[in-house]
Amino acid sequence: MATDAVAVAPERSNGPTPRRRMSRQERQNLVTGLLFISPWIIGFLAFLVYPFYETIRLSFTKYNGIRDPEWIGLDNYRTMATDDLFWKVLFNTLYYTGLAVPVGVVAAMLMALCMNQNVREQPIYRAILYLPSIIPVFALSFVFLNLMDPTYGIVNRLMVDIGLPNINWFGDPAYGKIAFVILAQFGAGQAALIFLAGLKGIPQHLYEAASIDGAGNLRKFWNITLPMMTPIILYDLILGLSLGIQIFTQVVILTSPPGSPVNSNLMYVNYIYGLVFRDFRSGYASALALVLFLITVVLALVIFRWSRSWVNYETV
Amino acid sequence: MEKVTSRGLTLLKDTKLSRRKALTGAAGLGIAAAGAATFAPRRAPYVKGQAKTQLQFWTGFTDPDLATLRKIVEQYNAQSTSYEVIVTQLAPAEVTDNTRLITAVRGGDSPDIYHMDRFTVASNAANGLVQPISEFVDEAVRATYLPFAMEEVTYDGQIWGMPLDTDARALYYNIGVLREAGIDPTEFDQSNGPVTWDRLLEVANMASVRDANGTYSRVGFVPYANQAWHYTYGFSWGAQFYDEANCAVTPDDPKMVEAMQWVYDACASMDANAISAWETPRRVPGFPPQQGSLVTQGVAFEVTGDWMINQYAQYAPTAEYGITYLPVPQAGMSSATWSGGWSMVVPEGSTNAEGAVDFISYMCGEPGQRIYTTDTRHLPTITSLTTDPSLYTELSSFFAAQLLPTSNNRPPLPVGSKYWDEMTSAYQAIYLNEAQPAQALATAKENTQADLQQFC
Repeated sequence: MATDAVAVAPERSNGPTPRRRMSRQERQNLVTGLLFISPWIIGFLAFLVYPFYETIRLSFTKYNGIRDPEWIGLDNYRTMATDDLFWKVLFNTLYYTGLAVPVGVVAAMLMALCMNQNVREQPIYRAILYLPSIIPVFALSFVFLNLMDPTYGIVNRLMVDIGLPNINWFGDPAYGKIAFVILAQFGAGQAALIFLAGLKGIPQHLYEAASIDGAGNLRKFWNITLPMMTPIILYDLILGLSLGIQIFTQVVILTSPPGSPVNSNLMYVNYIYGLVFRDFRSGYASALALVLFLITVVLALVIFRWSRSWVNYETV
Repeated sequence: MEKVTSRGLTLLKDTKLSRRKALTGAAGLGIAAAGAATFAPRRAPYVKGQAKTQLQFWTGFTDPDLATLRKIVEQYNAQSTSYEVIVTQLAPAEVTDNTRLITAVRGGDSPDIYHMDRFTVASNAANGLVQPISEFVDEAVRATYLPFAMEEVTYDGQIWGMPLDTDARALYYNIGVLREAGIDPTEFDQSNGPVTWDRLLEVANMASVRDANGTYSRVGFVPYANQAWHYTYGFSWGAQFYDEANCAVTPDDPKMVEAMQWVYDACASMDANAISAWETPRRVPGFPPQQGSLVTQGVAFEVTGDWMINQYAQYAPTAEYGITYLPVPQAGMSSATWSGGWSMVVPEGSTNAEGAVDFISYMCGEPGQRIYTTDTRHLPTITSLTTDPSLYTELSSFFAAQLLPTSNNRPPLPVGSKYWDEMTSAYQAIYLNEAQPAQALATAKENTQADLQQFC
């Protein structure tokens, strides 16, 4: 192998290697392969590449969604800079994501640790912990609303009984976003399953060795479990960021008009939706969508960069 | 089995059709079929001997009103020799949300008839979502409708739809709740005319019940519940919402500021956060009407509309309640109310506007409105029907006879939906005591005017 490589090298340095013609068989293989994956290629082009291109194009236009777009250059981006509601929804969305994602990681980790306990009723506990994750958001939101009702809700009643204030979750502008963060944890079972798979993958001999060295449960968690789980935590952070920043459904279900009161719960995607389907401002909405994409990419890159200092990819 | 396989292989060999070519061909055929199904123009299915043209009618209504719409459609279909209307129910959404219609129009798959909240017609017309139908509606027909209802479907000198029904807001009071609080309900008899807003609040506070933590278990009157909207107070105080001469929205009209100051002060006096804790869970979309504050005797008073009569009948048939005029800012003033309602429009892209208007004329004409009024207890928009006693019960006749003749309507503007939402946002800030009325209304004006300017 090494000899062949040495022999080939001088030829490459003299110029580009002549491209070998594909045989008839190879061409047929290529066509067949492309045809078989063509549904995906068509879907990718039609539902990702084309809308992305259109979003960029429309972001430079005044477009009401019905009539032909009119080129206005960077006006939409200039408008954004002075649009108070844009800054408000950006703050709301980052506030929610910044809280919901790390709280979600902790919740998923705790649930996974509980699911991983070696007890006889383990399957029952797993089912109970995972159950809220398979309930549709719509139904879950109504259950949540009833639990947290300031007049009749059992959670609020308990809070009052132990001396806490009776919080008006969706009526007081200060608490709506926190309520959405709590609601998001009902879906932590999905991430907990992935965390559970990660916990199962940690070699037992590490724990055995630590036990022999006299380490307690807490020490084992900090020095073995947590470092070994960091790749999964990173995955969950990125996924959580992407989903958190696109929060939409809960806002529509739980607040009326969406984002009430006083737009304190209005999230970025809900604002875009309102611009397109109520205000006929698809051009401006496209600019907002593009900015959201860029914000998500930048935040993901920051997390990846930061992860170099704490993610452990070593295998045992 | 082996034999068949062998013959099959032989066939492939004989015709030089390799297995690879067969697979390639199959994949290609599959793609072609999927493409054909996706891009083929959609047409109504052809039925042998079918003479009628099909018309698609989209509505976001749910039962029981949807059942009445279907009933009228069936009667229309039975008597029409040219058209057959197909009803499609859309998922319920905010009335200002045009998601389904915008995507349908843009996608070239418009329905022929669309059920639209009337106050959004001007805005949707200005943005090219609906077609003008002036050529199909002559002057004599237009004159038979209530002027404000016709005004709401008129924009830029053209008619963009036909009014179906209307409504009116009034003050409802629970007689049982008032008696329980030791209050004589006769003060609120219609025959005594309207009380003042201050008097209403005074009596309502006597009926409120709070526990030791300050949580309301019964509220006499929630100043912003149900139909106690910004417009309700604005009309009551005599505010103007639009300055036509200057093409300007005027939510900051001094009378509107005064009205909103009353709401601000009323909420502050009742503890704005405690009132909000009671009311907010009842404001989520889809909140079951059988759990509404009025029918469950959770409030003494509420501003709502004529449709509440049916809800009482259905969910609290034995409840004792009364209906009277909306209160006034000062004794001696005339009570003012406002009306909205629905319309039928022909969306842009429909290729059968003439057929659509034929159905709309039936639905919004006397045959349709008679059925609709009788079955749903909504009010008609044809003037002659508002005085037809056979269509009303004793309770509903109050709305038709006393309120409709002097009712107001929201200004039909190309930014009507935006205006509503901006005022709602300001209103929330006011009733939660988060912002002073003048400041909140000025923001609503600034945001709406920015969008209106392009149409001036």
